Amino acid sequence: MPTSTSTVHLEIPASGAYLSVARAAATGLAAQLQFTYEEIDDLRIAVDEACTQLLARRGSATTMRVAYHLADTELRVDVSIEAPDRGDPLPRDTFAWQILTAITDEVSEQTESDRLRLSFRKVGGRT
Amino acid sequence: MSANEADDVTTGVLEEGGSAGRGVDRAYAKDLFRRFVEHRDPALREELVGVHLPLVEYLARRFRNRGEPLEDLIQVGTIGLLKAIDRFDLDREVEFSTYATPTIVGELKRHFRDKGWAVRVPRRLQELNLSLTKVVAELSQEIGRSPTIAEIAAKVHLSEEEVLEGLDTSNAYAVVSLDAPAGGEDTPSVSEHIGVEDESLEALEYRAALGPLIAGLPERERRILYLRFFGGMTQSQIAARLGISQMHVSRLLNRTLAALRAGLLADEETE
Repeated sequence: MPTSTSTVHLEIPASGAYLSVARAAATGLAAQLQFTYEEIDDLRIAVDEACTQLLARRGSATTMRVAYHLADTELRVDVSIEAPDRGDPLPRDTFAWQILTAITDEVSEQTESDRLRLSFRKVGGRT
Repeated sequence: MSANEADDVTTGVLEEGGSAGRGVDRAYAKDLFRRFVEHRDPALREELVGVHLPLVEYLARRFRNRGEPLEDLIQVGTIGLLKAIDRFDLDREVEFSTYATPTIVGELKRHFRDKGWAVRVPRRLQELNLSLTKVVAELSQEIGRSPTIAEIAAKVHLSEEEVLEGLDTSNAYAVVSLDAPAGGEDTPSVSEHIGVEDESLEALEYRAALGPLIAGLPERERRILYLRFFGGMTQSQIAARLGISQMHVSRLLNRTLAALRAGLLADEETE
């Protein structure tokens, strides 16, 4: 069982072909946190969506980082990609943003000087 | 299918007025194109999609024996159609259908290549997946919520890891025969609120490419998208409302999103 402060880091090539790895990691970790089947499915959709949004803005970035922060009953997923000149924040009036906010408990996005970062938090064990 | 062969198919079909040719009025389509090229009006684009949908349906049918529902293939083919519409040059001395066919077929092929759906899933995983589908439904009934992986594992006497492997299969490959909807797909309760829902969907400023893609979805898929992402309903609640299983809702949702995303990323590549 994970402790309440475990974090798992994953670095994958910035390509859609590796999304399944990011998804599989999320699935395994959520299972440990006693997420239900349905919550895991939502989580997988959210991972896909967040990663796809960053990939669509990848520019010349070659890798994408995914960090999974495990707490007692929740998982926070932090996806980021190098983006030296593409500091545009993710617009809120998109379908992607709507999807993320509908199926997770909190979505946030930070644009740092050289990284685009999209995070979401999902609480498990409820539905 | 080679590009040449694809051309022959389309030409043949259109000339003999077969199923794909039905409904494609060339003069009308040409006029639409002329206006579309001039104004780039999304409504005209949508109309062009509608006019050429029979061609997509015809081509999608050629890939039907690969274990993917026809409606999903049509969705994928429509992405190719949209690309062809956007790139078509009226000065070319070819019919649009001849021009569009390789693009649509290419999109369909890419779909199978990317998803690995042409790959055969090991029999062991197919069977595991089938039994998991059943167990998830039973457990959901029993406990009144979706089961955890540990609960599923205990029930089928497998390790959590094996269960996860089986579940991974469910969305990666179309190996499970989907349970049919309980009622007709267009029962009054389904169509009732469609008008209102469409407004919510359209209220969002999607990327230009997404609007027509959503508009081109089958009604049930569009409704599931709406209920999940705008209506705040869980997959189980949607399943109960539509009279299908939660896992069926899950698969439809995942496939629809995959098709929409493919369109999004494909657009980025060509921009």
